[in-house]
Amino acid sequence: MISREEIDNLAELSRLKLSDAEAGELQKDISNIVEYIGQVSAVAADTFNEKPLLRNVMREDFPRDSTDPLAHKEEALKAAFPSRKGDFNVVRKIIQKDE
Amino acid sequence: MNELNTLSITEASKKLASREISALNLAQACKEEAEKKNPNLNAYLEIFDDIEKQAKNADERRAAGESNSLLGIPLAIKDNILLEGRHVSAASKMLAQYTASYDATVIRKLKEAGSVFVGRTNMDEFAMGGSNENSAFGPVKNPADPSRVPGGSSGGSAAAVAAHTALGALGTDTGGSIREPASFCGLVGLKPTYGAVSRFGLIAMGSSLDQAGPLTHTVEDAELIFNAIRGKDALDSTTIDESSFQSPTRKKKIGVPRHLLAGVDQDVLDMFEKTVTSLGCEVVDVTLSSAALALPAYYIIMPAEVSTNLARFDGVRYGLSLKGDSLLEDYARTRGEGFGKEVRRRIMLGTYVLSAGYYDAYFGKATAARDALAWEVREVLKNVDVIATPTTPSPAPKLGEKSDPLAMYLLDIFTVTANLTGNPAISIPMGTLQREGKALPIGIQFTAPHADEEALFNIGKTLEAKVH
Repeated sequence: MISREEIDNLAELSRLKLSDAEAGELQKDISNIVEYIGQVSAVAADTFNEKPLLRNVMREDFPRDSTDPLAHKEEALKAAFPSRKGDFNVVRKIIQKDE
Repeated sequence: MNELNTLSITEASKKLASREISALNLAQACKEEAEKKNPNLNAYLEIFDDIEKQAKNADERRAAGESNSLLGIPLAIKDNILLEGRHVSAASKMLAQYTASYDATVIRKLKEAGSVFVGRTNMDEFAMGGSNENSAFGPVKNPADPSRVPGGSSGGSAAAVAAHTALGALGTDTGGSIREPASFCGLVGLKPTYGAVSRFGLIAMGSSLDQAGPLTHTVEDAELIFNAIRGKDALDSTTIDESSFQSPTRKKKIGVPRHLLAGVDQDVLDMFEKTVTSLGCEVVDVTLSSAALALPAYYIIMPAEVSTNLARFDGVRYGLSLKGDSLLEDYARTRGEGFGKEVRRRIMLGTYVLSAGYYDAYFGKATAARDALAWEVREVLKNVDVIATPTTPSPAPKLGEKSDPLAMYLLDIFTVTANLTGNPAISIPMGTLQREGKALPIGIQFTAPHADEEALFNIGKTLEAKVH
């Protein structure tokens, strides 16, 4: 069984604020699921080494030209800011002087 | 002319081409049906108010000489696929007010083909679920029996097509999210080869697993949509070349991994055996020794990718933004209140399996199991054209029936393998089964080698000819 402290730590790492009741439920659910997925320990690691499907894809670092589907989206992206001042996205001040 | 909405895409396409009907007639029939049925089904989160305008535009394009088979065809779009200038929410409070700033590649291609978009369909939040009960905007009902779920996560898309409110739909499939609702709603549902269809403009869930694909009434319709949306895309580096698609010599053999079918309902199994032996192919037993590990591996890899992909929802750049006493509190409140319960559960699980000290035991082992499975599937498919299983172990459960998360996850037992291995897989209706006086649809799943969707369409058409 996963401990309540571990659940609280996971919630902090996940940046999720959970109620006491939900943290308790998750302690039970995640313990059950972890027991189930633990079956994978039966596999011998590195037996097959499949060739990865992914590969590096390079592109030139140029602004998109006007025919590109992503050209001229600046305004739409700015319109999605939760808090906007002109062309700026207003965010919380995170670096503060020591008092 | 009243039932134009019940035509298949192929039939409607012929009538449009011969000018027997107009795209406007067709769009109006679908719109009327959608508005009539949606209050009960909850299949759409939004029925677009410009359907007729889109249809008129398609009619004008045809008058100007265009002749694409999807020109003027009304389609429903799952709400995790971006349509520029329209809301897209992934059925989450996190994005309830979000407007898409660009078109997904699949949408750009469908616009080029001239499709008409009926609306955006309900789904499990961020595509996480197998019943559509995880939507922040209420569950979808199964048109075959409204006390039952339509499946998920593309449940709204499936219900929309099954109820004839659109001729076809796009869904997305990360662990069965197109095929499972197709099975429960009596439709054809295709999960293409990983990389066949661009993921650009899909709201990401598990990036190594996700694929968009069609839900339709016929195999030919699924093929039409697949051919319209597939292709290499500079905006998705995982898309594969056209030259990957092949047409190998057919062996006329179907492989059945009978050792995996223990938990299947008896009448599903009987119908499956009858169906698979009726297709004019030799049916042979095949063994996938690692298949028992597919579901555990999936429920490690998928949450790991979920926890990573959903880290972007921080309340800073777009979407829901709630304030607390500190930056940490801002994040935790936004995410704690913006995400629903199942999404929170999977983020926690993903964070757990990726934690220092657990990574090798879970993610490392799951990746090894995935490799083993990919190797086994490829070996088996050297000797048979396709692998067949039931799509789901049983027909659609009732709303609220699977309250334990693990019981819900077990519905994915036959579908997750194709996502882990990247193979294309299709669910095709094989008939209906009686449950409490209702005839419930159930599907058969075929899996083919990478980039051999053709094998799925071939066998699917043979099956349809038998069933009809």
